Amino acid sequence: MTDENRTGSFYDIYGNRLPSRQFSNDEIVDAVVIGTGAGGAPLLSRLAGAGLKVVALEAGSHWSANKDFVTDEPGQAKLFWNDERLSAGKNALAFGNNNSGTGVGGSTLHYTAYVPRPQTDDFNLHTDFGVGVDWPIGYEDLESYFDEIEEFLGVSGPADYPWGKKRVKSYPLAPLPINGAGQLMKMGCDALGIKTSAAANAALSARYFQQGIGWREACANRGFCQAGCDIGAKGSMDVTYLPLAVQYGAEIRANSFVTGFERNQSGKISAVIYEKDGQEIRQKCSNVFLCAGAIETPRLLLINSLANSSGQVGKNFMAHTGMQVWGQFNHNIQPFKGIPGALISEDTHRPKEADFVGGYLLQSIGVMPVTYASQVARGAGLWGKALIEHMRCYNNTAGINILGECLPYDFNYVELSDETDQRGLPKPRIHFTFGENEKRLTAHAENVMRNIWSEAGAENVWSFNRGAHIIGTCRMGKKADQAVVNSEGQSFDIPNLFICDNSVFPSALSANPALTIMALSLRTADLFLSKTK
Amino acid sequence: MENTNYPDGWVKEILETEFVKPSTRALLLDRLDTNTKSTPDFFDDESFSILQCVCMRLIPQDRNEPIDLAGLLDEQLSKSPGNGWRYDELPEDKVLFKKGIKGMEKLAQMAFAKTFCDLDDAETDQILLTIQAGNAKGYEWDQIPSNLFFEELLASLVELYYSHPLAKEEIGDISFADAKGWKNIGLDQIEKPNPNNR
Repeated sequence: MTDENRTGSFYDIYGNRLPSRQFSNDEIVDAVVIGTGAGGAPLLSRLAGAGLKVVALEAGSHWSANKDFVTDEPGQAKLFWNDERLSAGKNALAFGNNNSGTGVGGSTLHYTAYVPRPQTDDFNLHTDFGVGVDWPIGYEDLESYFDEIEEFLGVSGPADYPWGKKRVKSYPLAPLPINGAGQLMKMGCDALGIKTSAAANAALSARYFQQGIGWREACANRGFCQAGCDIGAKGSMDVTYLPLAVQYGAEIRANSFVTGFERNQSGKISAVIYEKDGQEIRQKCSNVFLCAGAIETPRLLLINSLANSSGQVGKNFMAHTGMQVWGQFNHNIQPFKGIPGALISEDTHRPKEADFVGGYLLQSIGVMPVTYASQVARGAGLWGKALIEHMRCYNNTAGINILGECLPYDFNYVELSDETDQRGLPKPRIHFTFGENEKRLTAHAENVMRNIWSEAGAENVWSFNRGAHIIGTCRMGKKADQAVVNSEGQSFDIPNLFICDNSVFPSALSANPALTIMALSLRTADLFLSKTK
Repeated sequence: MENTNYPDGWVKEILETEFVKPSTRALLLDRLDTNTKSTPDFFDDESFSILQCVCMRLIPQDRNEPIDLAGLLDEQLSKSPGNGWRYDELPEDKVLFKKGIKGMEKLAQMAFAKTFCDLDDAETDQILLTIQAGNAKGYEWDQIPSNLFFEELLASLVELYYSHPLAKEEIGDISFADAKGWKNIGLDQIEKPNPNNR
């Protein structure tokens, strides 16, 4: 591509301009991608790499991490989706900094970079247990993408991972160093005969050269991953797939909030309507990839009464069972140091004596100070002298948490409320209540985690029951009356609409979702390209 | 638990070093220098006084110049950036906090025939525990589950408090001094900078 076509801009983490292509609103681009997180960014680069004209619309801002990020939690509140959501149900979820990001890079700006693969049986819950649903695709459909993404991001992980299907290739980088929480969890697990391993993290344990991007710096063990990495060591989309996409000729427009669509006589989408700087803009296009996450994706479809002949848009909302158990130790830990999730165990993936369906993984966790204090307030309800004394031991604190199965239920869903936001659009209301299976799984896990901490010598142990990650709401399936998209991510109702984010997950998988979302993203792009050539 | 008392003055000292990124330093110094608010922007004067009394009990401070939690919450509510969610059972934050504080005063009047700020410690705690347990009834509390109000109030105050450099000093939180990264991250590994051994 010649330079005169590159009148737009993308910026690296230091604020240096990377020339970017710029399309006119009246040009019919091949695809508009809505959202630039783990669902949108990989496919954006794939489509651009194949020579397609692609524009990404991102609701949030474009940050240059090294310039714009501070080591301060309230100072980084800008990374979260702070438009208000109404949280209902017996286990009403916290949104914002708990699970919802915004900005060029989406939620990967605040993810901990924890990237375990799902296991093969995660995709066959119904076959194995008779409840939940099977995915219309399996591990083998995603495996080559897992390999590719791990290599591209520079995932740090153990040479020999003890659980799941044997890997074709080793992780490209050695594991990150284990922090105090990880060491303590290992002590407790060793005493109980629970096998542990260094975890897989998409943060660089050594400098790494990346195709189309150049050198990225090694992780400095800052431990503020959930408040943004300011050196580009974490494999967020803004330092990986997005600059690659720009190099291939994609245009990324920040601060562009999509509100609706234009459709032609055959019902296909012909333009995407969005707000930028208070103006309403229309971008003509041939295809749309909706990658806005498990709340905003169904919200946009419901607002526009789109792609919902199945009645499944917004249904089957899931959040991983994510209980944390905290302890305080006679050791200096400084829990803000090191990659937060350093150590993993998947011995509890399918526990033998279980009275529940599915299973969970265990991970050690470090924690940032304000996040911890806030959880102590909400979860332990400590105040007065008890709070002050507990927080004086912040530097002696370590945690373990689970990431476990959550079944889809009729009573958990996203709907539009009567309240409107600052744009005049209805705020979403999310209903979430743990079912019997989640309660049993969590009880099992709490017992295991408390035993681990007991063996490691913990005091002041307390548990924080929570749901992690937003999943479901536009499920993928084989039948048009039971699912929103087919196994290729294509809408059953609107053939030029594709959805790719955590909303298409039919079941939750007992693994952190980012890697699977990225794999789905590349697969969605490849299948699309194979049919349009 | 060992190592839980940290020396006075270490935060200011470390903030001036190369271990702190300039933008982080500017932000924390600004927070450190914020003056105590004398007149509220969001609450009315009476509610603001009650909030000040509530703050002293929820997060007691043994300082000559306490961190102005009531002023910080007033400021936050007057700007109201929001944090992405609220309990469906609760009204919007601006309504919730105004009604909740008024409800606290009414509980004090009802139970002890005194204004909230005239309650002794045991009486104050009794009111706070009733609210925390979700047992406050009547007046504003017919529309607001009091346990959820308490959770929102406490979490807001705690987040404001532990974001303040003087609270960081109290708990030895040196996480902000990471401009050079951290090298000694294992158990009981101490490195510079460190609160106890700058």
